[in-house]
Amino acid sequence: MNQASSNTFHINGCGSVTTEPETIKKIPGNKAVWVAIFAELSEFAVFFIAYFIAKAHNPIEFEQGPLQLNTLAGTLNTFALITSSYFVAKALAAIRLNEPDKSIRYLSFAVFCGFCYLAIKYWEYHWNVDHGIRANTNSFFSMYYYMTFNHLIHVTWASCSLMWAISQIKVGNYTQERHLGLTAIACYWHMVDLAWVIIFPLLYVLR
Amino acid sequence: MKLNKLDITWLILLVITMLNALVAETADPHLVITTIICFSIAYKGRRIIDYFMELNQANQTIRRLMHGYFYVFPALIFLTDVFSEELAVLTTF
Repeated sequence: MNQASSNTFHINGCGSVTTEPETIKKIPGNKAVWVAIFAELSEFAVFFIAYFIAKAHNPIEFEQGPLQLNTLAGTLNTFALITSSYFVAKALAAIRLNEPDKSIRYLSFAVFCGFCYLAIKYWEYHWNVDHGIRANTNSFFSMYYYMTFNHLIHVTWASCSLMWAISQIKVGNYTQERHLGLTAIACYWHMVDLAWVIIFPLLYVLR
Repeated sequence: MKLNKLDITWLILLVITMLNALVAETADPHLVITTIICFSIAYKGRRIIDYFMELNQANQTIRRLMHGYFYVFPALIFLTDVFSEELAVLTTF
């Protein structure tokens, strides 16, 4: 039995993350992806600050706006992103246990969730148009389209990066011993999920 | 079936999301609701950061920055709700 599958090598899916030797006191993935992650979070931070200011100036529009949106679509999108993040974490755990097929399966589930998100968003935008909601309807909906479309773009290219990871596992470039690229892609995907954790309540819940 | 930390985190996040959706559909705007939602954002963010991203015991700087993001923004959501009129005055040119 090799080190990765022994009891001393704990992972998220099979023990405690706190004893995961790959991440203890280290930067998960690589420095470059964390520069990208903080750049993206800064971009979303600017959106959130713009939202706060717009809400302060247009309180009635921001109180009524969430009531007009499709809460079911927002909730299903949250489920899709959380579930995809869960599968990505499971995929990383699987590659550490030298189970590339399992890792590919989990990543495929994550990509499927990403496509579900895109499909739900497509349906939601159509539903909005049918209900007279457009980007120029008022300042709340301008913020809504600005934030959600930007996030949608992030989900799209992050899904592409997951497909890239699947291809790299298939050709043997990501293995039990060498999978920093997969860890970096996983961190980026979780960042996309984190941004939605704030966007969802801002647009669909809070009034 | 034994659930591990990933499974538990996933289930907790789904439950909180459903509760958020319930609030969106039923509750009237109130500072208490805003407070609860802010705490739920902070908790969900922390859960993802610690267990999905695995920053629980990772590099301290990155961990603190990520945690900080999910302290600062829920706090800002709350403060901008409480001081919305002052914010409007401050940002009027």
